[in-house]
Amino acid sequence: MIEFSPGTIEMIIRSVSVIAAGLALIAGVGPGIGMGYAAGKATSGVRRQPEARGAIVTTMLLGQIISGSTGIYSLVIAIYLVFA
Amino acid sequence: MNPGPQTITHLFGKSYLPVTDTLIIGWVSVILIIILAKYLTSDLKLRPEGKQNIAELFITAVYDQIEPMIEGEGWKFLPFIATIFIYIGFSNLIGLVPGVPSPTADLNTTLGLALVVFLVSHFEGMRDKGIWGYIKSFGQPVIFLLPLNVVGELAKPISHSFRLFGNIVGGGIIITLIYQAAPGLIPVPLHAWFDLFIGLIQALIFGMVAIAYIAVAKQ
Repeated sequence: MIEFSPGTIEMIIRSVSVIAAGLALIAGVGPGIGMGYAAGKATSGVRRQPEARGAIVTTMLLGQIISGSTGIYSLVIAIYLVFA
Repeated sequence: MNPGPQTITHLFGKSYLPVTDTLIIGWVSVILIIILAKYLTSDLKLRPEGKQNIAELFITAVYDQIEPMIEGEGWKFLPFIATIFIYIGFSNLIGLVPGVPSPTADLNTTLGLALVVFLVSHFEGMRDKGIWGYIKSFGQPVIFLLPLNVVGELAKPISHSFRLFGNIVGGGIIITLIYQAAPGLIPVPLHAWFDLFIGLIQALIFGMVAIAYIAVAKQ
């Protein structure tokens, strides 16, 4: 069993939390795919029915906002890990 | 980098009444907004010209967002939603001034605004359906979903506030990193994206989500 000094433990915790912050941002992949999919569907919807553009854009934005929340959670956790 | 809100002074010398820079800049932006609104709406005419056009354009744009989602009550919610739009948009833009942190880069500001929206939406839901009818609506469609609905309701102000906070703080951190890596004129165009575009889009989104939460609670 190796004995670590408190300074070394502090350093390990800091470095691991920075790595964990990087890993937490992997969660940004999901919202990116989902929001892009919603935008693509909305684009084809506008092409089919150009007069319904306002309603389609509003609905798309709301859906993207809700699905983008997970990305924001991961960003906040990453910020917390870096500055903790 | 982004050290968070700094305590400038203490109110009445009490240690439990700190005055942070967020508070001061928030109040300064409120006063600036009041002066701007007074200037834009002074000397109103039936046939608008000049600065009155700007004010009418903005009010009509906000009204067109509210009316399709809360039918028939667009004028009732216009002051509340327009205030959110103006205050958040102005707070995000004031971060462009060098050395001035944006008030929305502090979780206290965004959580406060989100809690106001939370209270308004529940109050409107209760006024529309009656207190007992509103409480019963949490047990829909089956009573077993009651805890799930309550947790979902409590998660709303959290995600609402963290969305604005995360976007503004994240943009600020990225700009600070690029200032350290490449000082000079290189990071200047990034302000156009992170402060102007993201700032205004987030103000729009915060207001639209507020409308959506109120509309969901009322139906």
